Amino acid sequence: MKEFNIVLAGVGGQGTLLAAEILGTAAVMEGLNVRVSEIHGMAQRGGAVTSDVRIGDNVLASTVAERRADVLLGFEPLETLRNLKYASDKTLVIMSNEKIPPPELAVKKQAYPSMDDVVEKIRLFTKKLIVVEAAKLAKQAGNSLTQNVVLIGALAATKTLRIKDETLIKALRELVPAKHSDVNTKAFKLGYEYVKQQGSKAL
Amino acid sequence: MPDAHVLLQDEPGKRLLLLGNEAIVRGILEAGISVVTTYPGTPASEIGDTTSELAKEAGLYMEYSTNEIVAVEVAAGAANCGVRALTAMKHVGLNVAADAVMTLAYVGVKAGHVIVTADDPECYSSQNEQDNRFYALLSNLPCLEPSDPQEAKEMVVAAVELSERLGLPVLLRTTTRVNHTRGPVSYGQIVKPNLKGEFVRDMKRMVMVPAFARPQHASLLEKMKEAAQISEKSPYNKITRRGKSGIGIISSSSAYNYAAEAVDTLKLDASVLKLGVTHPLPEKKIAEYLKSHRRIVVVEELEPYLEMQVKGIAKDYAPNLEIYGKMRKPYFARKGELSTQAVLAGLAEILNEKVPTNTKEIAEKLSMISKDLPSRPPMLCAGCPHRASFYITRKVGGEETIYPTDIGCYALGAAAPLSVGDILVCMGSSISTAQGISKVTGRNTIAIVGDSTFFHATLSGLVNAVYNNSKVVLVVLDNQTTAMTGNQPHPGTGVTGMHSPSEKVLIEDVARGIGVKYVRVVNPFETREAESVLKEALKQSGPAVVVFRAPCALMAAREKRSKGIAVSACRISDKCSNCMVCVKLLGCPALTVEEGQVRIISDLCSACGLCAYVCPYKAIEGARP
Repeated sequence: MKEFNIVLAGVGGQGTLLAAEILGTAAVMEGLNVRVSEIHGMAQRGGAVTSDVRIGDNVLASTVAERRADVLLGFEPLETLRNLKYASDKTLVIMSNEKIPPPELAVKKQAYPSMDDVVEKIRLFTKKLIVVEAAKLAKQAGNSLTQNVVLIGALAATKTLRIKDETLIKALRELVPAKHSDVNTKAFKLGYEYVKQQGSKAL
Repeated sequence: MPDAHVLLQDEPGKRLLLLGNEAIVRGILEAGISVVTTYPGTPASEIGDTTSELAKEAGLYMEYSTNEIVAVEVAAGAANCGVRALTAMKHVGLNVAADAVMTLAYVGVKAGHVIVTADDPECYSSQNEQDNRFYALLSNLPCLEPSDPQEAKEMVVAAVELSERLGLPVLLRTTTRVNHTRGPVSYGQIVKPNLKGEFVRDMKRMVMVPAFARPQHASLLEKMKEAAQISEKSPYNKITRRGKSGIGIISSSSAYNYAAEAVDTLKLDASVLKLGVTHPLPEKKIAEYLKSHRRIVVVEELEPYLEMQVKGIAKDYAPNLEIYGKMRKPYFARKGELSTQAVLAGLAEILNEKVPTNTKEIAEKLSMISKDLPSRPPMLCAGCPHRASFYITRKVGGEETIYPTDIGCYALGAAAPLSVGDILVCMGSSISTAQGISKVTGRNTIAIVGDSTFFHATLSGLVNAVYNNSKVVLVVLDNQTTAMTGNQPHPGTGVTGMHSPSEKVLIEDVARGIGVKYVRVVNPFETREAESVLKEALKQSGPAVVVFRAPCALMAAREKRSKGIAVSACRISDKCSNCMVCVKLLGCPALTVEEGQVRIISDLCSACGLCAYVCPYKAIEGARP
């Protein structure tokens, strides 16, 4: 299988690492070769966090090379912008519109850029953009912490990832605590349906 | 990995996604290792943590030792009684353990002893990015370097075999991109641990007085000759790609992954020699490889460790060969981690190949985006007791006081607005650098250290302060856990790595026992009391110790969640004048400004009340009592 690269970008605490592990686990369940990169420790404390998932027969390195992302999964608008170096005009950007203003903005009395501004900048790199109301959907699913799973559902709905939906759901149910299993499955489905209904317009 | 216990499944052939560190733990089980010792440190921490979770069930002994030298010595004691052992640490931990390791090479071991050193190119979570392969050269210990989780698991088993064959500890050197990469790992057979050891006296081998050390040094050098033979035949030193162009690449560890992918991307007809045993190197195998190629490129992270030795071998076997790397003309950086694009660029330059680089247009677009992109550096969590401690410390000490700090989450306190942290070197350096600074400047000096670091490396520095009557204040930020690395227990917590209760070693008792006259314990959220205690401490003519004790906010929140207790949040009342004092003084991630209005992000806030304390208008309500 040709390589397929996903860059997940978010803020420490948003569940980017778990999302990456779910994708990697699903890939292994389907018998594929995969590498997932993570950064722990100091860098995790509320800072910018990225995790890469690389699927494909010849994949060895765990990090995605510049401009080689097939999908940029943005958990937060500014973090999506911060990782555009991984994007080319072939990259599909799936981005949550939930803003987490960096504390620096408050201290410097600067405003968070408008969504129009963010979208315009992404379009400089790729026209393939889907904006997901991940926070709203996660709350609808029953837990605001499931935004990461909403985004996996959104990614699954685009059918760019050659992993079966059932496998993704199986992997996620294996990795989240049993008592949160149903809420997360719901979050997956809400993200999935959202893209089926809204996102296809953007593509 | 859903749960650490899946590692205990005795199902050879089972394939699942594991973190490099989890794969190493599976390796521990497949190698019959029975004693695991560690001091937590990124990127090695999950080796100890995962072992701790399953140690009882697996029938092995695991401990969080007070520091890395203790960890190595405990394991070496067991290994010299015939029990297989592994010690895991981050790269700088090996500096702490080096005194033991250097002479342990003379003493040797009876059963396998693997020392995992997890290097951190790029300093993702470290104070330096030293290349620990040089410890292998320095100590004459063999060194294995895996490049992915599967190999990391296999090499634990191989390291135990090698260790027992040679009667020497073996270094397993990883990097962040091995420890913290997840990849598919296939299970082998589990070997039952055996914790029953037997000590047989052997003074000449184990008591390293000069008369016995001299012959043991000779014996070590003999063992290295045998190790070199083993390295020649090792399946881990292998040619993974064969090309016809005469270009040969030599690489190891995570750098190998980038090198191999760069060769594929450039469609080079090159050979690649992957080295898994990087000490001692397979000299003959490398010589043959050199002789059969026209140009050699050495791709490695950090120091030119392989390049230096390859050039040494070339001098004898292929003196006219062109060898490229990072010495003289640097094609690859000697600092930071490599990447596929960095290796691509270096290879392309050496071989005059065209490389798919960023065009000017893309570079312009990227610089436009990064220009006004606000940064998001790591910071102390909302509700972190360190924030209160730092706020108080800076308020009492002011600009004039000097604040040597130490290794832990609290290193983040050096950043504005808290601004407590003036010099940071290594574990335990705060108390000792403080003494030198205090002696020669006469200024107030407040050294900062965490609880786990206090036990790790601060005791002798504190004894020194008492002995030499230094006028320094040691502030111990006691959040009752090793927070930075994932909330491991330590001697002050009353719990061991086996999840058994133990005697709590109290920091205040230790300080008093050492002879510090002024020792106080205070909750930093009791802000007024904490301020007056610290003021008193600064008035002392000799050393003083103030313990700021309050649990790690992450740990406290986790405990509350598991008990089903709701975490409350503070609220902003209509008394708020948007003066921004809270935002500017505290830098708390739960405080944000939206359309000119201060807001509390209730998902993050844990109602610690520090902002309520600093608010001049008493406009913040709901702080927990």
